[in-house]
Amino acid sequence: MIRFSLVDFSIRRPQLVVAATVVLTILFLTQLPRITTDTNPKHMLPETSDVRVWNNEVDRIFALYEDTIVVGVQSDGGVLNRETLGRIARITEEILKLQGVASRDVNGFTTITNVTAEAGTLKVGPLMPAAPPSEAEVESLRQALFGNPLFINRIISPDGKTTAIYVPLEKGANGAEIAKKIHDIVAKEKGPERYYIAGDPVARDTFGAEMFKLMGIFSPIAGMIMFITIQLMFRNLSLSFTMMAVAMAAIIWSMGLLIGVGLPVHIMSSMAPVFLMAIATDSIHIFNEFYFRYREKRDKLAAIRETMQAVSRPVRYTALATAAGFAVLLFMNIIPVKVFGGLIAFGTVVLRLFSFSLIPAILTFVKEEKIAKGAESVSAELDRTARLLRRIAEVGGTRPLATALVGVVLLVVAIVGTSKIHVNNNLVAWFKEASEIRVADAAMNQALGGTSLGYLVVLANQPEFMKRPEAVRWLEGLQRHLEGMPVVGKTFSVADYVKRINRVLHDDDKKFEAVPDTKEAIGQYLFLFSMSAKPSDLDNVVDTTFQKANVWVQLKTWDAEAMRQVIHAAGAYQKAHALPVSVKPAGIAYFNLVWNDEVLGDMVRGFVMALVVVFVILALAFRSAKWALVGYMPLLFTILLIYGVVGFAGKDFDMPLSVLSTLSLGMAVDFAIHFISRFRQRLAETGSRDVQEALLWTAARPGKGIFRNAVLFAAAFSVMLFAPLTPYIAVGAFIVSMMLLSALLTILYLSALIMLGRKWLLDEPMPAAGAAPAQTKGG
Amino acid sequence: MKRWWIWIVAGLLPLQALALSGEEAMKKSQAAFLYPGKDFKARVVMKLINKDGQERLRELTMLRKNAGEPGGDQKYFMYFFQPADVKDMTFMIHKYPARDDDRWLFVPAINMVKRIAAQDKRSSFVGSDFTYEDVSGRDIEDDNHIIEREEKVGNRDCYVVKSTPKGTDADFGHKVTWVDKANFLPLKEEQYDKRGNRYKLFTADEVTDIKAFPTAIKRTMKNLQTGHRTEVAYIKTDYDLGIEDSLFSERYLRQPPRKWID
Repeated sequence: MIRFSLVDFSIRRPQLVVAATVVLTILFLTQLPRITTDTNPKHMLPETSDVRVWNNEVDRIFALYEDTIVVGVQSDGGVLNRETLGRIARITEEILKLQGVASRDVNGFTTITNVTAEAGTLKVGPLMPAAPPSEAEVESLRQALFGNPLFINRIISPDGKTTAIYVPLEKGANGAEIAKKIHDIVAKEKGPERYYIAGDPVARDTFGAEMFKLMGIFSPIAGMIMFITIQLMFRNLSLSFTMMAVAMAAIIWSMGLLIGVGLPVHIMSSMAPVFLMAIATDSIHIFNEFYFRYREKRDKLAAIRETMQAVSRPVRYTALATAAGFAVLLFMNIIPVKVFGGLIAFGTVVLRLFSFSLIPAILTFVKEEKIAKGAESVSAELDRTARLLRRIAEVGGTRPLATALVGVVLLVVAIVGTSKIHVNNNLVAWFKEASEIRVADAAMNQALGGTSLGYLVVLANQPEFMKRPEAVRWLEGLQRHLEGMPVVGKTFSVADYVKRINRVLHDDDKKFEAVPDTKEAIGQYLFLFSMSAKPSDLDNVVDTTFQKANVWVQLKTWDAEAMRQVIHAAGAYQKAHALPVSVKPAGIAYFNLVWNDEVLGDMVRGFVMALVVVFVILALAFRSAKWALVGYMPLLFTILLIYGVVGFAGKDFDMPLSVLSTLSLGMAVDFAIHFISRFRQRLAETGSRDVQEALLWTAARPGKGIFRNAVLFAAAFSVMLFAPLTPYIAVGAFIVSMMLLSALLTILYLSALIMLGRKWLLDEPMPAAGAAPAQTKGG
Repeated sequence: MKRWWIWIVAGLLPLQALALSGEEAMKKSQAAFLYPGKDFKARVVMKLINKDGQERLRELTMLRKNAGEPGGDQKYFMYFFQPADVKDMTFMIHKYPARDDDRWLFVPAINMVKRIAAQDKRSSFVGSDFTYEDVSGRDIEDDNHIIEREEKVGNRDCYVVKSTPKGTDADFGHKVTWVDKANFLPLKEEQYDKRGNRYKLFTADEVTDIKAFPTAIKRTMKNLQTGHRTEVAYIKTDYDLGIEDSLFSERYLRQPPRKWID
């Protein structure tokens, strides 16, 4: 029994244990300054994943940029006036000078390619080369804008009040820095205009900043709250410090390891400090028991030994269950989830190592009189908390059938709610509604064609196919079909250029806003266009061999479902209009859809795995499948109840919540392990057959540990309710309610179920003395 | 002999004349590169190559006729062979220093000649990495030219000339040209954007004498920011063929004479 010798060793050589921990902690601490964050949603899936490989290929084929900042300019009086246009020209000019901006492909009034016919002359060039000096020119700009469907909803809103400048970034450019410089540029302009700076790089940067906020501000606050709560519970500063020190050390070790091996901190792992702090509260059972034992024995060293013996089995198994719950995440497809699982599993193991070394070592330093004082307050408090817990167990124990029936009814309701759960990841919704990003996104979505971008890549089986009139018309038809959908704001393809040039060549006659009848005409139009346009204009919509075409689909929402609807609609269109092409979706909107589905798949797989693993651990802990089954019940009940609420509330079930559903099994099962282990120990220790009495004792004594554990856990996570990102809030609410509910349900329903099934459960012989040494000692 | 010093000054004059100014170097370079002969004809094969190595082909016959001295008006006539669907397309430029070019395009599919506005000389020439200015030249007076140093390109001695636009409307920051000291052909040119980043690189890859005119028959323009490049080969290059002025008219855009376009 290595752990017992570890405890003995720690009590005999406490200084050595503490010193070794400090040295190791400092070693891990040195890694922390190398921290990097990764807030790129694309990195949720591995680089080798089909969707990322394909998206990269699409970016390459169509010369698309990975990152684009969108600068929205809005004015209630309209943007088409000399002052505003002057500002737009100045702002664009300044943006073009920024390092890292792909200047050649910036699209705004002054840079976007316009194809017009003036006095019989074809003109291909920037829409507004300079700010218009006269009202007449403003008027002709207005006509150019609204006369060209390529511009409406892209760079001008139909009401003329909003325009946008699209600023693509070179690979490896620092999006955050550029966004900040653009902020400075627009800040210099005084006028009635409102400016919105949006786009992936901005969202990522904000995200990163909020992550640091969570780690740097909210984690310490969570720590403080825990510290105060522990202090209120035990009224012993050195004990409170011990628990905090243990939690801090485990956090430093885990984060140090993560950073040390060169992994960036992601949305999930940024929550690790709070999780580890909460998981560290499991050692509350050690302190809880230590205080009881000390009060009984008044011998510190003996109390430590006995405590460790009494709680070692449940603590070991709860740690195992927690670690396993997180380790299940290692089998997921989503990288940050994997990393998070490994990180917390490691942290949990470290915490447990501390439980059997550092904690006993530190306990030897605590002055006896202080413990005595604390222990007295424990007994004083026992009257209130313990009595309450006893009463809860009494309800379950004396009216088991009624309790179970109420449970069944609740369960049915919860299952109905669970069936209403809607899996959806909306990255923009991860920001709070009042956040700059959400405001910008909402404004741009309302005014222009939509901020979420998907592509439909149309693949033919031979080169030059996309110059055929039937192909271009097919694209055009597909666009009209898609634009009939409420989620689609604007579409854009090579057909738009072909039609535009046809019209312009024919003296801007509306009749010719159509696809011409011959392949030669289309080829020549596009050649003509490419003679003067920016190379990217055509590259963005057709490949160099004209075998592949790219239809841009701007979506009005970041909901993953929107892209699924688009794909379905494209499929339906293809069925109705046969053409030897295949359509493959791409782009960030498609990525979100794939990722969303991965989250769902991961959730189901992870949940099933966690169910099995936790059951096995329970069965091992109790050496009985029956007891495992009973221990399972409050846990399942808790989770179903919470899912039911999530379902009824209509909250999107997103990645953080789905990860939690897996984790919560491993965390919430702790209570059942503690309860059942200690209950059975009690029965064995006292040799009594009075099940009810043993239940009440368990509810009052280890139950108090469970209660304290739950309160501490909830206290730590309650901080996240005030966090700046919605996933953090969701996680906070989920954990707080889960911990409190599962503590309550464990005490209530285990009491009821054990009473109901006592014949079935207790007919089997008690575990042998060798298997659980603790029970032979007096209690 | 009171004026003896005049003789000394006179003696020094040729030396001063030898010290070429940047502007003169660029003028000579323009004459050697864009104005050799009275007229010129070549079959031009352009390969537009993206950074993944995918190629697009442009093949055309290019005819040029000078109206007068180097630096003066010029007329260009182009007939396209490739890509296949633009065969018979023709394109004509009347180039005037110090004012916008006139451009016409014949679109055979709809049998239409269209005038094309030439508001932007810096836009791409037929989708290549060359701009119209790269192909037909930029007015010498638009820039300040300074010989920064002398340097070898390969085994050729060159002037290194830095040209900075006088106005602010140019879309580039400055360019640096390596001008061959012997024949004044630009052997290399680097273009910098307004942020001071090098973004385009021209190289004359093969120079040969045709009718005693040194001609860069292979040249490359590479966009250093996108990795896209255009390789140009002149085949069947010839000078002083006596191309008549009437060829450069709208009428011949529709039906170019066979003998000139092969």
